[in-house]
Amino acid sequence: MSDEHKIAIRVRDVSITFPTEDGPVTAVKNVSFDIRENEFFGIVGESGSGKSTVCRAITRLLPDRAEVTGEITVHAQKMLEMDLDRLRDIRGNGISMIFQNPSSHLNPLMTIGDQISETARFHYKRNREELNELAVSTLKDVRFSNPEGQVNAYPHQLSGGMKQRAMIGAALACDSKIIIADEPTTALDVTVQAEILDLLIKLRQERGLTIIIISHDLGVISQLCDRIAVMKDGELIEQGRTEEVILSPKEDYTRTLIASRPEAIRLHNSAWKGEPTESGNPVLAVNRASIYFGGQGRNAVVKAVEDVSFDVMRGDIVGVVGESGSGKSTIVRAMINLNTLSSGEILYDGRDVRNFKGAERVNFLRKVQMIFQHPQESLDPRFSIEQCIMEPLKLHKIVPKDRIASRVRELMEMVELSPDLLTRRPRDISGGQAQRVCIARALAMEPEVIIADEITSALDVTIQAQILRLLTRLKEQMGLTIVFVTHDLDVVRTFCNRVVVMQIGKLIETGTPQQIFETSSHDYTRRLVAAIPHLPQGLSQSETA
Amino acid sequence: MNALAIPMRAVRQLPGLFIVGFVITFAWIAVAILAPVLAPYDPDAIAFDALLTAPSPDHLMGTDQLGRDIFSRVLYGARVDLFMGVVGLIVPLVIGVFLGLLSGYFVGWTDTIIMRALDITIAFPFLVLVLAIVAVLGPGLSSYFVALALVAWVPYARLVRGQVKLIKQTDFIAATTSLGFGSTYTLIRHVLPNCIVPALVFAVTDFVLIILYGSSLGFLGMGAQPPTAEWGVMIADGQTYLSTAWWISFFPGLALLTLGVGAALLGDGTAKLMRVER
Repeated sequence: MSDEHKIAIRVRDVSITFPTEDGPVTAVKNVSFDIRENEFFGIVGESGSGKSTVCRAITRLLPDRAEVTGEITVHAQKMLEMDLDRLRDIRGNGISMIFQNPSSHLNPLMTIGDQISETARFHYKRNREELNELAVSTLKDVRFSNPEGQVNAYPHQLSGGMKQRAMIGAALACDSKIIIADEPTTALDVTVQAEILDLLIKLRQERGLTIIIISHDLGVISQLCDRIAVMKDGELIEQGRTEEVILSPKEDYTRTLIASRPEAIRLHNSAWKGEPTESGNPVLAVNRASIYFGGQGRNAVVKAVEDVSFDVMRGDIVGVVGESGSGKSTIVRAMINLNTLSSGEILYDGRDVRNFKGAERVNFLRKVQMIFQHPQESLDPRFSIEQCIMEPLKLHKIVPKDRIASRVRELMEMVELSPDLLTRRPRDISGGQAQRVCIARALAMEPEVIIADEITSALDVTIQAQILRLLTRLKEQMGLTIVFVTHDLDVVRTFCNRVVVMQIGKLIETGTPQQIFETSSHDYTRRLVAAIPHLPQGLSQSETA
Repeated sequence: MNALAIPMRAVRQLPGLFIVGFVITFAWIAVAILAPVLAPYDPDAIAFDALLTAPSPDHLMGTDQLGRDIFSRVLYGARVDLFMGVVGLIVPLVIGVFLGLLSGYFVGWTDTIIMRALDITIAFPFLVLVLAIVAVLGPGLSSYFVALALVAWVPYARLVRGQVKLIKQTDFIAATTSLGFGSTYTLIRHVLPNCIVPALVFAVTDFVLIILYGSSLGFLGMGAQPPTAEWGVMIADGQTYLSTAWWISFFPGLALLTLGVGAALLGDGTAKLMRVER
């Protein structure tokens, strides 16, 4: 470590163990790192890597049963041995935390102003006017447009991005110099994320903050941080200057992490998805579809989808993208009648999907299969994996009775799962495995079209890459048509050959990825595209996927 | 197929109290089955030469005002009370679960009708309503069962309805729709097994209350009728002799107490066992 920078946080040989029913589980193993003053330090890792655990240990926010060994010092004060009074003084006053979900970390019954000044009231015991002044000036610092008015707003009156900015304000109100941000933008839309990241960069300069940011998203981390650390299975496997780690990673895992990013996949597989189909009849056609909730026409409370039209051509991978509230899931759920259209129509092979009855309906549902976002929740928790896949085969008599068991095994093989998993229950397998089971179950129906609703959003990036590869291969082998709904524009750009962009219930535009991502003339599309976090330039030479 | 899979780890960690409850309850079931073998006397045999005798080797728990052997009557009483508990439990459970499923799964008028019926029922205190129904139908065990069927389904329906509403939101129910499964099939195969656990747990705890209320009715002269050897009736019988012949009320009371405690412990343990880790 160079001497010109003072060390703000020093973590030495920290191991964290949780006692469980099945014996102690080590969540963090021998992790050491130093963070200098005024540094932006990033910790990246997938779920279960221990990245949040280690940061919670710095402020001793772990449950009492957690056993922490090693040494943690903040400005040369030993955190692990500190008594509670002193600790309380430091929390919120020297070190503050920002959490992932702003909605659940703000008290719904307190105004934003009160919550921001609460730390000051607790630590400094100031009077009402001073507190209000502090809240207003903090809101100004976190770029609220009308701080004097918004100081009295309640959380539900603010958007997600404003709530996150208010939470950052609360963290800063007592002049904390160290901020630990645990996935601060994961729950936010990509344009809002860009806004928050920008704010963090500005605040760091203005206030001389030291910031630790924890994220699963290498793009976010590399945009912000001076130095990054990569964690896997509780171990810190690599750390260094951001460019060094990203451009010349030393560890295989870091390389995999980088290569799993859609932009990296795109660089190495330019001909991955094939050209879009231009001629012929669409397999699914959405014609002027509107979906209202809570009433009809003028009385509608929520216009979830309004006057949307697009076609899905046979053999295409159509990406439907948009931020939360854009109506992208709502419209694709209507394709199989999980939502009811208020007006307009959706045609499958030229026939309105609402008019299928009896045997025709079953046949239609077999041809158009849907896969959902949370794989574990879309499997009956009481069924074994085998039963989950077997059920449609049995019920719809897709294969003769004596062929069912072998067909289940074939399907497992198709989605690259080991037959050992057949006897397990959904909660005993990983998210990625469960999503493969869902794909196998959909394939059991021998579909023509698969509607995938945010199927990789709940998964780690390396698993996402595997699932996307799997789907692409299956599409090639079986001639599937895929409707892929996601908020992740980078995935769409890599994976789809036709893109539908939606915003608050309306269709913005449709086109090929090139049209959308490179030459779009729509403001909203360009803002979305600009907000995608990227790795630093020069990536293409660096990794070896 | 093991729809209500009980995790083995939970079995190994069974709390001691659950085992106590299990042993007590099943001991009483054994007693009920074996009553004719175990009982030294005919429970209804009147013996005027042995009125109100205190507990002795001849009459382990003494005799009552008609010279009937209390021990034999307590053994036979287990049959009546357990029967009462089981029937009085299953009928409302089945009705409640069925109505709860319907009202949770099908919104609209089905739900409205069932919920209004439920509101009307819970507007009255439980025992008052049961007493009123029994009074109208005439005293007796069968009236008690009818009253329970009309009143005791309410908590099950509410529990199941709430669960169904939750489960209905989950993706795996949406998945059954997209897989083209019919709604009756989905309801029985996927919704019911995932909704019934809280109702079953409540039922095991409710078992002891059904018996206690049944005995209370017997005590009030509205339940099982004399000379049936039912514990509540026996406790009421001994009331007048409490100062001179305590054993007439004491031993049936003790029996009721042990069965009650046993069933309650069993209920608590079952609740822990059936909790599915999600």
